[in-house]
Amino acid sequence: MQTKLIDHLFRHHSGKMVAVLTRIFGLSNLELIEDAIQDTFIKASLSWRNQIPENPEAWLTRAAKNRVIDIFRKLQTEQKYTPNFSNGLSSIAIQDLFLEDEIEDAQLRMIFTACHPKLDPKDRIAFALKTVSGFSGKEIASALLLKPETIKKRLVRARKVIQKSNLAFSIPQGLALPKRIESVLEVLYLIFNEGFHSNTKEQLVRKEFCGEAMRLCKLLLKNKHTSIGAAYALFALMCFHSSRLDAKVTTDNEVLDLKNQDRSKWHFPLIQLGNVMMNKAVELDDFSCYHYEAAIIAEHLKAAHFEDTNWKQILYWYQCLYELQPTPSHVLTMAVVCLQLKNYVKASFYFDKIHPEALEQRSYLYYSAKSDYYYATGNMNKAIEAMNLALEKVTNQLEQEYLKRKKEKLII
Amino acid sequence: MKDFMMIFIGPDYGDLGLSPEEIQGRMGKWFAWSQKMEKDGVVIKGGNALTSGIRRIVGENRTVSDINSAEVKELVGGYYIVEAKDFDEVQEIAQGFPDYDLGGTVEIREVMVFDN
Repeated sequence: MQTKLIDHLFRHHSGKMVAVLTRIFGLSNLELIEDAIQDTFIKASLSWRNQIPENPEAWLTRAAKNRVIDIFRKLQTEQKYTPNFSNGLSSIAIQDLFLEDEIEDAQLRMIFTACHPKLDPKDRIAFALKTVSGFSGKEIASALLLKPETIKKRLVRARKVIQKSNLAFSIPQGLALPKRIESVLEVLYLIFNEGFHSNTKEQLVRKEFCGEAMRLCKLLLKNKHTSIGAAYALFALMCFHSSRLDAKVTTDNEVLDLKNQDRSKWHFPLIQLGNVMMNKAVELDDFSCYHYEAAIIAEHLKAAHFEDTNWKQILYWYQCLYELQPTPSHVLTMAVVCLQLKNYVKASFYFDKIHPEALEQRSYLYYSAKSDYYYATGNMNKAIEAMNLALEKVTNQLEQEYLKRKKEKLII
Repeated sequence: MKDFMMIFIGPDYGDLGLSPEEIQGRMGKWFAWSQKMEKDGVVIKGGNALTSGIRRIVGENRTVSDINSAEVKELVGGYYIVEAKDFDEVQEIAQGFPDYDLGGTVEIREVMVFDN
């Protein structure tokens, strides 16, 4: 007898079944499908109270299949839908759509739908997290530090656009494909970063978002049309970052910077996997900012001690990255790298190029780095002044405590 | 030993808009409770979960109405019948009920026995 379910079984299964049923009934019935899947979970939660079935996943899949019949009936009575198998479904029995490969194919279609250019970029993330990954609006809102109503609005807007534009539930082909993959990778990257740099107060690292982004990226790598170099590079990047997830926070939930992390806690198998993925990424023709970002983090991981870090090489990678992606946050990082290289003239040059407001909620990072700069160049008053500004701007409680500790050291 | 009924009253999971993750979490708690009861040797003589649809027939005229679970504040969601010495013992068993935090209630009633 089963005594415990696989973690997140319901959530994962939700994404899978919504995708499969959408393939059968079309995107126009998405809401109906989502409600139906929700019902199967509630039913499971009642009937499994005393005993979990031998094979819970098969139970859930069977329940979803039964829902197919219910939905057919419901749509027929509402006369919204008459089974029309002209779209190629007749050749594949519906039964087959529940096989593992077909489920993955359906999920891939859902990711590509979520990243359709007709959808507002902000709505894409919310829609993907809800429909592909099975998070609820409330969960998404708390992870993204937004009001539940905001997420609700985004989901409604995304669904409306999908309805109105009559989007096909497919992976685009030909010229449209590269652009869309780019948009998919961007969404996965953002989901990963939300997990990795989580801003939620209670839980610093939303590992689940990281895991979800990696799972979806893996789906791209399994498909021969979508496994481009950039996808491999992004996956490598995620492996490298994830290897440090456990080292990033102490048991007391304190944030640790790279300098103070216990490097023996880095998860070596993930670094190895990242290396394998990186090798594949550079074999392929396309080149992306993920290549450089992965190269940068790989450089950090190579160093056995913080003091061994090859900052010159890192600065070089950042310059390459900045060429492709000229953002103020890269300039800030280059300034920080120059501080490590003790090249204060160049650091100052980069600092001068930044307007802190352009960094928005991350402007505290600018002031904190600026404080380091003043400290290194012997200007204590200005160092404290900059740190006060950083403390004024920071919102994350853990980051705030980290900055406070730094400030105490300045005062002594 | 007497028979007691634990009646579970509270909002419907479907109406609360729980996420799949939360539903799984809820179920895990129910499962843990039933395992605890088994370990403690509680004899469960019966029990059922009820679906959320309600049809009510009221009064002289036998007025019939179908009610949506969302319209009812206190919905009976299920029950267990257990064997116990007295109310206090059932109260102890009911400590493990998982849905108090969702505003759930357990009502304990003794099953009436008729002398022949």
